Amino acid sequence: MRAARAAAAVFVLALGSSAAATPIWTAEELATLRALSPSAMPRAPADPSNRVADEPAARDLGRKLFFDARLSANGKVSCASCHQPGRGFTDGLPVGRGVAEGSRRTMPITAAVHSPWQFWDGRADSLWAQALGPVENPAEHGFTRTQVAHALATNYHQSYRRVFGRSPPDPAGLPRRASPFGDTEARAAWTRMATADRQAVNTAFADFGKAIAAYERTLTMRPGRFDRYVASLDGKASAKPALTPDEIAGLRVFIGKGQCVNCHNGPLFSNGGFANTGVPARFGHPADVGRRDGAGKAAADPFNCRGAFSDAPPGGCEELEFAVLEGPELLGAFKVPSLRGVAGRAPYMHAGQLASLDAILDHYDRPPPAATGHSELKPLGLTPLERRQVIAFLQTLDEDAVMAAPRRSR
Amino acid sequence: MAQLAPSAVTRAERRLALARLAVVAFLVATPALGRPKNLDRSLDRSTEHGVFRVAVRSERAPVPLFRIHQWSLRITDPAGQPISGAAVAIDGGMPEHGHGLPTAPRAMAAEAAGDYVISGVKFSMPGWWVLKLAVRAADGRSDTVTFNLVL
Repeated sequence: MRAARAAAAVFVLALGSSAAATPIWTAEELATLRALSPSAMPRAPADPSNRVADEPAARDLGRKLFFDARLSANGKVSCASCHQPGRGFTDGLPVGRGVAEGSRRTMPITAAVHSPWQFWDGRADSLWAQALGPVENPAEHGFTRTQVAHALATNYHQSYRRVFGRSPPDPAGLPRRASPFGDTEARAAWTRMATADRQAVNTAFADFGKAIAAYERTLTMRPGRFDRYVASLDGKASAKPALTPDEIAGLRVFIGKGQCVNCHNGPLFSNGGFANTGVPARFGHPADVGRRDGAGKAAADPFNCRGAFSDAPPGGCEELEFAVLEGPELLGAFKVPSLRGVAGRAPYMHAGQLASLDAILDHYDRPPPAATGHSELKPLGLTPLERRQVIAFLQTLDEDAVMAAPRRSR
Repeated sequence: MAQLAPSAVTRAERRLALARLAVVAFLVATPALGRPKNLDRSLDRSTEHGVFRVAVRSERAPVPLFRIHQWSLRITDPAGQPISGAAVAIDGGMPEHGHGLPTAPRAMAAEAAGDYVISGVKFSMPGWWVLKLAVRAADGRSDTVTFNLVL
């Protein structure tokens, strides 16, 4: 009987703490909350593969390139067409739309520098390697790397020279459209090029990515309401509670019963890894294998950290060197996205399959079987109130957390 | 089977229900589902079948999160004689979350006999992690050992 009474006391305590406006967090919970706060955010990690990563001149050149729609097949698509600064660097669409419709959701760029792997399947191991992919993707910029070399020589000759200490390749001797990945004509033109010309174009193409990466490295997050709440727990408080009782209750579910924090942890609310969460296949399309192919692509990418165009010293590519390249858990796994600014970034998942935060909570609460591979999710048994509270909490990650639009300049 | 008086059943059921509620409340209040209370966090221990003694230590303290780093590893026999030339396979993960390590660490021999370096270790969140080492000595003896870390 005594045991039952003690148990009941524990229960009352737990109930009381989840309903109260100023809950008492356990030491372990406090550690979890502090780990979610931007004060735990390390500085942007150095990128030894990009020697101009932190050069102001490279950042300025990269910003111009990021907004330059001339770098596309139809002259209308820039990086910013999909990565729109006013929308958290995404586009509000289920799948990206450049010169045609893509197959995956546009990812936000803010704080991407903290992730060792880029793209939903992590097929690029740096910001600069990532920046090259969309340019030659037929659904995105639909461009070729020789066209990039032409554009650098024509429109950016001086700033390129200032950043990289040499001129871009002379466009006179280069075919207009040539690429190892383009259409038949572009591939044939690439094959006909002299090895030295191909090397020069590849070098300029890598430089182009490195300048864009230097710009993207400056897109950092700013603390918001949730962060002020965590600061208040450590006595750095304003008098007014930063979160409402419902938002606090949602936070409790987030780090407890909901198990959201298992993957969405750290100051970006992402562990930087990959997970199969049983997201349904994009309507009318086969299931996407995700990381299973992305891991091998990153390892084989000629523009990766170990490649000929990287500035990394030997042994400077640890993420690639120790990457998990195979295993059943890679099948159907996608990058764990940051939840900073999540409420403003619908629709969700790698192809925008879930339209709202409500749909997200429904998915995690009652997970369907995986479209391919094995889903890591188990049913949560959340009450309707708890679901609403988690959504209320997620909205506290928004305020101030989305970057103001950077200055646009040509 | 003896029949219980209705009142006894009710009391027993009530007690059971209370106990269940308490368990649910405990699980809800504790993020760490399934972590044994008496988790052995020793980083210097005998392997499962007592074939080797293995000690590991992070070369950075405290153990960093989100950063690749190295661990030192020492393998001896139970009498303390160093075991050189062993092949060591490394596995692990978070038992509570059902996922493995975010990287694929590798062990290589260091200078001194019985000493090794584990490179490529990364932990991507706080909580209970396990590091499992499968050791195979040059003479064919083999055994495994599991270390528990709470970060």
